[in-house]
Formats: sequence, C-alpha cells, structure tokens
Amino acid sequence: MKHKKRLSLLLAIMMMATFVLAACGNGDSNNSANGGDEGSGGSDTKQEEKLEPMTMTYYSADSNANWANMQDAVGKKLTEKTGITIQAEYAVDGSNQKLPLMVASGEYPDLVFAKGDANLFVDSGAFIDLTDLIEEHAPNIKKVYGEYMSRLKWSNEDEAIYVLPTLAAVDHQALDAGGTFQIQHEVLKELGYPELKTVKDYEKALKDYAEKHPTIDGQPTIPLTLNADGWRIMISVTNPAFIATGVSDDGEYYIDPETTEAKLHYKRPEEKEYFRWLNHMNAEGLLDKETFVQKTDQYEAKISSGRVLGVIDQEWGFGNATNALRTAGKENRTYARFPIQLDESTKDATFQDTGYVAGWGVGITTSAKDPVRIIKFLDYLASEEGQVLMNWGIEGEHYNVVDGKRVIPEDVQERKTYDNANFTKETGIGLYNAMFPRYGDGVKDSTDNYYTTNFPETIIENYTPAAKETLKAYGAEMWKDLWPKQEEFDVKPWGVAYNIPVPSDSNINITYKKVEEITRKRIPEVILADPAKFDALYDQFIKELNDAGAEKMEQEYTQLVRERVELWNN
Amino acid sequence: MARTKAAFKPSLSDRVFDIANFTIMALVMIVTLYPFLNVLAISLNDSVDTVRGGIYIWPREFTLDNYVQIFKYDGLVTGAKNTILRTLAGTFLGLLSGTMLGYVLSRVDFQGRKFMSTFLALTMYFSGGMIPVFILIRDLNMMNSFLVYIIPGMVSAFNVFVIRSFIDSLPYSLQESAKLDGANDFTIYYKIILPLCKPVLATIALFLAVGQWNSWLDTYLYNGNAPHLTTLQFELMKVLQSTQGQTSGMMTGQNMAEIVKQVSPESIKMAITIVVTVPILLVYPFLQRYFVKGMTLGAVKS
Repeated sequence: MKHKKRLSLLLAIMMMATFVLAACGNGDSNNSANGGDEGSGGSDTKQEEKLEPMTMTYYSADSNANWANMQDAVGKKLTEKTGITIQAEYAVDGSNQKLPLMVASGEYPDLVFAKGDANLFVDSGAFIDLTDLIEEHAPNIKKVYGEYMSRLKWSNEDEAIYVLPTLAAVDHQALDAGGTFQIQHEVLKELGYPELKTVKDYEKALKDYAEKHPTIDGQPTIPLTLNADGWRIMISVTNPAFIATGVSDDGEYYIDPETTEAKLHYKRPEEKEYFRWLNHMNAEGLLDKETFVQKTDQYEAKISSGRVLGVIDQEWGFGNATNALRTAGKENRTYARFPIQLDESTKDATFQDTGYVAGWGVGITTSAKDPVRIIKFLDYLASEEGQVLMNWGIEGEHYNVVDGKRVIPEDVQERKTYDNANFTKETGIGLYNAMFPRYGDGVKDSTDNYYTTNFPETIIENYTPAAKETLKAYGAEMWKDLWPKQEEFDVKPWGVAYNIPVPSDSNINITYKKVEEITRKRIPEVILADPAKFDALYDQFIKELNDAGAEKMEQEYTQLVRERVELWNN
Repeated sequence: MARTKAAFKPSLSDRVFDIANFTIMALVMIVTLYPFLNVLAISLNDSVDTVRGGIYIWPREFTLDNYVQIFKYDGLVTGAKNTILRTLAGTFLGLLSGTMLGYVLSRVDFQGRKFMSTFLALTMYFSGGMIPVFILIRDLNMMNSFLVYIIPGMVSAFNVFVIRSFIDSLPYSLQESAKLDGANDFTIYYKIILPLCKPVLATIALFLAVGQWNSWLDTYLYNGNAPHLTTLQFELMKVLQSTQGQTSGMMTGQNMAEIVKQVSPESIKMAITIVVTVPILLVYPFLQRYFVKGMTLGAVKS
C-alpha cells in the first residue's frame, strides 16, 4: 500500500510537470501564431483588389539563403498583384531527406520543386495532372512553352503533365562562351597572340611562357591547374574530355546520334587520348602537382595570386578568383578562352542546339486546396509583366525605361555585381526563378526589350580592357564568335540526356553511384601515372566500370533515351 | 602513492612522463584552438581578400563588415531568441524529468523498477527511424510549434541512467534518516537528493544545453516553413550551405553559375559561425566549478 501511494504521488508530480510544460509551450506557440496573423493582416490593408489573400506553401529541394519571406521589393509587389503570399521552405542539407518524408507522411506543401525526385511524388500520386488546368486557366504558360508543350508529358504510358519545367528557361541562348580552355591574357600578349586550335597549341603556349617566366610576383609559375574537388571534377577534369573531342554535354553519357545508344563517355577511344594528353602534361611537369588534392578555396586562392597560366574549367568555376584579380588590378592575369580540341578532326559542339530541354520544375500537389488559384498565380509570373518584374525588378527603382529601352541605373548594376547576395535579398530579383516557366537570355518581349538582364550588349560592356584587347587581336567581338556556330550542328532530338528522369525502381542510380566512385578514384590515378603504364591503367579502369555493371546500366539508359525521343517527337 | 613520491623527488620516468604529457597536451591544445583562431581571423578579414587565401591566425585586411552584414539577417534575431528559449526551457525541463525519473528508478522499493529500466534501456538501442518519428510528431500536432524542440527530448534514457547511478552512489541512510524526521518522498527528492546531485546535474545540464543549442535538424524537419520558429543553427546551416550537395550532373552550366553566385563568401560564413558558437562556449566556465566540486566530493567520500 505504502509503495503504491508513493508511486502515485510521483506519477502525479510528473504529470503536473507535463501540464505546466504544456501550458508554457502552448502560450508560446499561440503568441507566435498571433504574431504571424498580425503580419498578414498588415498586408491585407494594402490590398484593394477583390483578390482574396491566400497563403501558398512551397518547398524547394534547392537551397536558397537569400529568401526573405516575400519582404523583398519584388515579393511585396507580387503579393499586391496576386494576393498570394508564398510561405517557402528551402532544403538546407543537400541530401533532400525531407522529400521522402513528405511522400511517406502524405502531407505536402501546395507547390513543390522536387529536382530529380519528382518521380517520388508522381509514383505516390501526390502531383496532380496539370493538363486541363493549363488549358483552361494559363494562357501565358501555354504561350511560353509554345511548340514544346509535348515535352512536358511525363512518359509514353502516362501522358499527363505533372511538372512544369522551370529550371531551364525557354529558348535560352548561351550568349557567351564560358569554358573550357582558359589562358591568361598576359600569356597571349607576350607570345604575340598565337593561334590556339588544339591541345598541342595550348600546351606550347603554356610551356613557352612558363620557361620565360619561372616565377610570377616572386612565386613559382603554375602552367596548368584543374579543380577536382568533389563534383567539380566533372566540370574541370572529365567533361572537358568530351568537349575537346567535339561532343556536346549529355552528362556522364555519350549518346550516339545515329543509333541513340548511350554509353559512359569515358569509354570513347577519343577521350582516352584526351586523358593521355593530361597524363603527358603531368609527366612534363606542366600540370600542377596539387591538382587532385586541392580544395576549391585553395584552387581559387592559387588563381587569385595570378601565377596560374591556364585553367581548364568553366568561367563560373573560379568567379571569385576573377573578381579578386580584377580588384587587385591584375586584369591582365584574368583569362581568355578558346574552343580548343584534341586535334583538328573535330569541332567544339558546345553550342549544339538541344531545343527546349525541359527537365526539373514545379508540381502542384494533392494537398493544394485551390489548384486553380495556384496555376493562375504561376500564369501571372509567366506573363510578360510577371517575367519583367522577376528579372528586372520594379520600374523606377531597379530599372528605368529610356527611349523605350529598359536600362539598369549604374548604382543598381554596381550593387548587383559586387554585392549580389544582399542585392538579391532586398530586391528579390532572380529569387523566384525556379518557380515559374520563363524565357531565357536572348528572347525579346513585345516592347522589343530582352526578357532577361543578360544580353550581348551588356556582356561586351562588361569585358575588361584586357579581354577586349585579346578579342581584337583574334578578330572577334565576343568569345562566342570564336566558337563554331549553332547552325553547324544538327538538333539533338533528346534535348540533353542528363535530365532524363530515372524511374525510382530502376538500378541505374545504384550502379551510377559505383561508377562515380570508380571514376573519381581512377581518373586521377591514370592522369598521375607513369606514361608507360597509362594504357594498362586506363583499360583496367574501363574493365572496373564494366564489372560494376556499367554495361547493363548503359542498356537501360539507352532505353530511356529512346523513350524520350519518342515522347518528345511524336 | 606515486603522487606523493613525485612531490618530493621526481624520478627520471616521472620527468619523462611530465614532458611527454606537456607536449601532447600542448599539441592537443593547438589542434583544437587553431581552427577557432582561423575561423575568427577569416571572419575579421575583408571578404574579397579572403579569396586570395593564406589567412591563418591573423586577418590581413581587418574589417567588421562581415559582422555588420550578418546582423542584417532578420532570421538571426528570431533564431537567437528561439535558441536561447529552447536551451533554457529544454535544459530545465530535461533536468527536472531526468532527475525525477532517475530518483524513482534508484528506489529499491519502487515495484516497476525493473520493467521501467528495461523499457528505457530499449530506447537507447532501438529507435523508430526518421519517417515513423516524423509521422508521430505530425500526428501529435507538434509540427510548426515550439513544443517540438522540448517534448521529444525531455527524457533521454542515457541521462536518466547517469543520474540514477549517481543517486545510487549516495548513502541510502540519508534518505532513511530524513524519512524518520518525517519527510515525504517529494521532500526527500527536493531537499536531500537534488542538492547532493549538483555535480551530475551540471554534467547533464551541459549535455542538454549543448544538445539544444546545436540542434538544427528538428527545425528543418518540423518547423522549416515557420520563420518565427527558426533557430540559430538552422540559420547558420542555411548560410553555410555550399554547393557541395548539388551534385548528380543534372545541372546545366547556367544554373550552376547562378547557384555558385549565390553562395555566401567565406568570410561571412565564418562570421556567422563565430556568432553562433561563441555563446555556448561561455557556458562552460560557469559549470566548471561544479565539475571540480564533484571530483572533490567523490574523493573525500572514498
């Protein structure tokens, strides 16, 4: 009896503690909830239209540190125009563990940008079919996609539209070339602007300059470096292998244009020769010894010192370093780029036409209470007014119209270039881009202005004097002029292979993980090897890929490519 | 024994030991301290200049701009408020429930003792996994609420066992004599057990406080779309976000370029790291005296 009494007393105490706690907790959450209500109440008064204010929840599998809860200039305008407040959530861990959680729990935000995991949502029936909604309520979205509407269909078996591709902009033209073989303006100037067509020319230029100038500003000259840190190894080490052998980007696969057969691009004999060249560069001592151990910040620090003569990378891969060089007054140590090939039998296919590539985008989920309202909201974003607002900001604040042309005032442009993160946060320009279908660079609106803020004139204006000098010496106005033109290539009927969604029940992803591991381990090994052992090691590498199941994966992928060609072109 | 001898006349082996000890400790100190100094130096360096690298323990171009920048993030203030609140409430309530449960389990006359212990111990080795926990939290209506920071972590089996074994080591006669003086169970808990438990309370409080302070995943999973419930570590996570995770080769160059452009400069990342980690470091000195006390307490008794 005594024991029982004690027990019950203790239980009572524990329960009391729980109550007290629950009370505190509730008080707190009520307070904050009220706070939230007041906030939205404030925006109500601003609104004079008949549009009911509505909150739309949104989840994006991409991270976005600049999201300001629609308190940015563009966001406020957007709420004013549409009555919609977006309650957004962005992934923060990169592994996207939240998407499977959502699917498992059956509760979704209204709008989801799921990246490569859209199939999870489609397979579990979480995304609604947008076909009729677009037909009835979204004339602007229809207009933007235009002839590419058939590329929105999910699969041959299920022709519904679940995802509005938003990451890739429609009719986007790459306005300038950003890759791949970079060389300092200073090197070209000193050598009298030699012709650079093949890797041999490139090698010679680097070597000649390095021999003349073994040190730069007191530090040893590095003829060539690459960035092999994490995924960047693809950009700077493996992708250049197909770029230098006349193939355009299909991710890790090479798609035979005749047979639409897919295979891992490292298996092409031409690419073996490219890696042999890198191996040779290493044997000659021209390749930076730290290439495969350095981290991105070390790589950029090295480039910022101005002693790296050549880099094989995309321009954005070392943007911070370029800025640092510019601010340090070492413009002549920034880089020029050329469509360099392994030999003269191929031409750089960077600008090969893919048509609209579709790919990742947003889907409306079954949890959305008012899908019509959401599609209308997206339709507003896709309208001319909406797109101009998203890209240019607010007239009179972020741009002015002078003689019918949209012009960005100098002080705004300066902040945009040098203080981009804060600029984005305050203005909201560019912040909403993954949310709606839109036109890309080089497309003009009804007032004959470009939709986006990038166009050839601004690019040329932003070139440094050093870049202009180099371009003049090569008789070009832009880097792109040095490249083979889009018209010289056939259109790829599958768009780009790297955004073909892989079904969730397929083994492709598992095998690919293994392939990726092998590649990231073996490629550095073959490049750093003794040239005499190169062939054996390379063959070993390919064999290892096949042992890991690469051949089966390629067959399955071929199937996917063929299905896409059929889906998109029927 | 060895100690008293060393105090009089250090032998060769003692000296070798001292030197080795000193060297290793110094190394450990450098290894642990250097990253902090490095982070501090980078956070105080001009962010464009940082790209050039070569900042070790001293900023090259001193500036407080990075700190000015991060205090403009509105998430930081709300986050600080929530983090402090959850740390205080979570630590207090965790201690309360932990000691109560520990005390009950230490009582030999508590009949469900064995069952309860096994029940608790099970949770140390088996967990439901992320998805069931997520669904549970959702069904308990704790999504988008502050409660989710406090309730799930209130009882931790490990803490309860640590507290229980500490209470076990206290002489039971103390409780008996109190009972003879007419104290009931709650008085014993409050007047006898708790004051004697200070060392273990300090330890557990530290565990709980650091755990609460550093936790970001619960914010992300349960309160990710409620900006008023954000926490400091979650804000830090957002800023630290590098492009490292965005792999899979599905990115077009254009998108990559956009993402790379949005990544916060190194110096800003480091400044926010300092702001988020330093406050919890300050807790250690305050709790340290209890650790020392705990040690002497144990020493005197044995």
